Amino acid sequence: MSKNILIVDDSESIREVVSFTLKNEGYEVKVGVDGKDALKFLDGSAIDLIITDLHMPVMDGIEFIKEVRKTDQYKRVPILFLTTESQAAKKMEAKEAGATGWIIKPFVPAKLIGALKKVLR
Amino acid sequence: MDKFKNKFREEAADHINDLEDALLLIEKDKGNKELVERIFRSMHSLKGGGAMFGFTMLSEFTHNLENLYDRVRSGKMKVTRDLLDMTLASVDHMKLLLADEGLDEPDFKSRHLNLSLQIKKYVENDGEDTELREKNDDADLAKDNSKTFYIYFEPNQDIFNDGTNPLFLVDELHSLGECKVFAHFNKVPELKNIDVTKCYTYWEMLVVTQENVNAISDVFIFVEDQCELEIMEVSDKNILTNEQIVSEIEKLAEERKDVGINEIQQIIKKYSIKEKKEEKLEHIISKKEKLPSVKENVISSIRVSSNKLDQLMNLVSELVTTQARLSLYAEESGQPELVTIAENVQKLSRQLRDNAFDIVLVPIETMLTRFQRLVRDLSKELNKVVVFTAEGADTELDKTIIETLTDPLLHILRNCIDHGIENPETRKKLNKPEEGKILLKAFYSGANVHIQIHDDGAGMDVEKIKAKAIEKELISPDANLTKKEILDLVFLPGFSTATNVTDVSGRGVGMDVVKRKLTEIRGEVELDSELNVGTTLTIKLPLTLSIIDGLLVKIAHNHYILPLSSVNKIYATEHEKVVNTYNNLIVLDGDQIPFYYLREEFGLPEGEQDIEQVIIVSYEDRSIGLVVDEVIGEYQAVLKSLGKMYKKQEIISGATILGDGTVALVVDTNKIISQFSEVKIKKEN
Repeated sequence: MSKNILIVDDSESIREVVSFTLKNEGYEVKVGVDGKDALKFLDGSAIDLIITDLHMPVMDGIEFIKEVRKTDQYKRVPILFLTTESQAAKKMEAKEAGATGWIIKPFVPAKLIGALKKVLR
Repeated sequence: MDKFKNKFREEAADHINDLEDALLLIEKDKGNKELVERIFRSMHSLKGGGAMFGFTMLSEFTHNLENLYDRVRSGKMKVTRDLLDMTLASVDHMKLLLADEGLDEPDFKSRHLNLSLQIKKYVENDGEDTELREKNDDADLAKDNSKTFYIYFEPNQDIFNDGTNPLFLVDELHSLGECKVFAHFNKVPELKNIDVTKCYTYWEMLVVTQENVNAISDVFIFVEDQCELEIMEVSDKNILTNEQIVSEIEKLAEERKDVGINEIQQIIKKYSIKEKKEEKLEHIISKKEKLPSVKENVISSIRVSSNKLDQLMNLVSELVTTQARLSLYAEESGQPELVTIAENVQKLSRQLRDNAFDIVLVPIETMLTRFQRLVRDLSKELNKVVVFTAEGADTELDKTIIETLTDPLLHILRNCIDHGIENPETRKKLNKPEEGKILLKAFYSGANVHIQIHDDGAGMDVEKIKAKAIEKELISPDANLTKKEILDLVFLPGFSTATNVTDVSGRGVGMDVVKRKLTEIRGEVELDSELNVGTTLTIKLPLTLSIIDGLLVKIAHNHYILPLSSVNKIYATEHEKVVNTYNNLIVLDGDQIPFYYLREEFGLPEGEQDIEQVIIVSYEDRSIGLVVDEVIGEYQAVLKSLGKMYKKQEIISGATILGDGTVALVVDTNKIISQFSEVKIKKEN
């Protein structure tokens, strides 16, 4: 059975690049436009990995990760967040909130898959 | 920090030299992968060290070069003459960067920028030769440059909490290459105490990969602060192919909780020594095909500061002096036991002396890189084709001699290329091969080392030299000189034969300076040249400067030492034969031999003894006798300088302290003979 991946990002272009890449690799993809929007997918349906941006309106990535970790069902789902090289502090913050790893923007598809392979089989 | 910095400087200078050496070698053997590897390694060390010790510019500069050679290494780029030109220029630049002085000068800055741009260009001219790349990729597959890494990975117990599965990371390591994984469960508690959300397992792994350490730590990038992680290169080979090593490690892993890096390293060491021995045998067999300067990776030498060596030599000198006193005292005391001990001390100190000498001897090979570089750059600049070869590169000389020798030799080589070797067109007309040859030959000759520099160039025009010397009023127009004497004129101050002075040899340093420098280290120069055939310059050098084996003699109440190397024979003869003579010739063994009665030459009254000692020394190709009162015996003399006051005279090259505390003068036989001859000739005229 193919794995389900949830993508959370407010930028449409990023959402498209990421979901295109993942679908190409044979993953099922769900998309949320910000943290709050994405919470609706935590409804008991299967999610094997979450990829989220950090800077988002309404509910940002850190907040979203904390929410995910509060649930029983999803508290050990690997979460990757998107970040730029310069945001070292942000990285720590997200890690502490419970993120598994990160993907540095800008990225090429191979990098994305590479990071994903570290947390998902 | 400064201490470390200086240490790094020394090291870096070595790396740069090695780099230069390798670059010059690869020019002749462009496909040699070992050399590329060597170049890359040197650059890599320079980059790493430079960054650590604050040579930021050097580090950055080298980093770019390293990238370039990384591509060469992986077959993405070819070694071209152009590339080497640029790299060699960069090497020169690196030397300046390392000196870390005057980096703010505009000249320097523009050079730095210029070279950096050139390097960048190379990196960017990437996609051009894909064909080549593919070809080489295949070759790469065949070549194994795998290394073995040891990894210790112990995740924090709560690592599961953020969705990490450590097993995935272990799995990912497999994608880098062959792996041997040892999972350790000894930290798993009893069943009733297990918390299923906690991770109790830790791993030790051996990974064989062509990737570097960064690629491995990349695998753990998400968890690096949630685990204990140790990554270390344990071998530059694939050790997993060695069954003995693997089974030994496996055994350990079973017996114990974890094996640990130290154990593994020891096991590898144990077996790789064996391997090396086998390799060595192979090496001997294939030696002939290999380049001479690619050395093995065995530590065969250590680095010692030259101050310490100087100190050692001083101590040895003092010991030798003291030993002489002991021998004398022992002999006078007449106690047989003491004499035996003194003899033993003498033997030991002699061995110690020889050994200490050996340590400060350096092969002339160490100078060759600079020469090769000079020949390469200069011949290119002057549009000449020159092949430089060296014979006897392993000939050794005292390090102080080598240090002083380098500059004169560079100057001589410059002359060879500039004035000696003709340009290819001229050579063609003269029916010579287009490429000129310069041969540097070094060999032992008795207690001397001879260095010959031979070129097959234009040679020196004796008539021209003579005319010039007359013009410069160095000789009188009617002087009757032999060819050798005329050639020697070029060593006079203010002499230059080049019709047009280029910026190469016309640097204000003439052959007179070369000669002076060589004389400082007791060297002698001889010149031989044939017009249109070539020139040979021979330098005779003493092996060492500080101690000589001498013959101790007595004239009147004074002791003198003659270098044993120049003594051929000693005859005893009647007093009358040396005094009552008008042509200073004596017949010994049927040969007429010219001689000097040293008492007379030194202005001493005639001796009273009936028997005189004639010491036959070689002077140029002849034998000359020196008459002294008494020969005492062999003596190893520790040379001490006479001090500034006596610098002007040449016949006494130094002094030494004898066992009884008196001073003996060391006579330079060559100088003494040539000086006396001159005086004689003048008198006769």
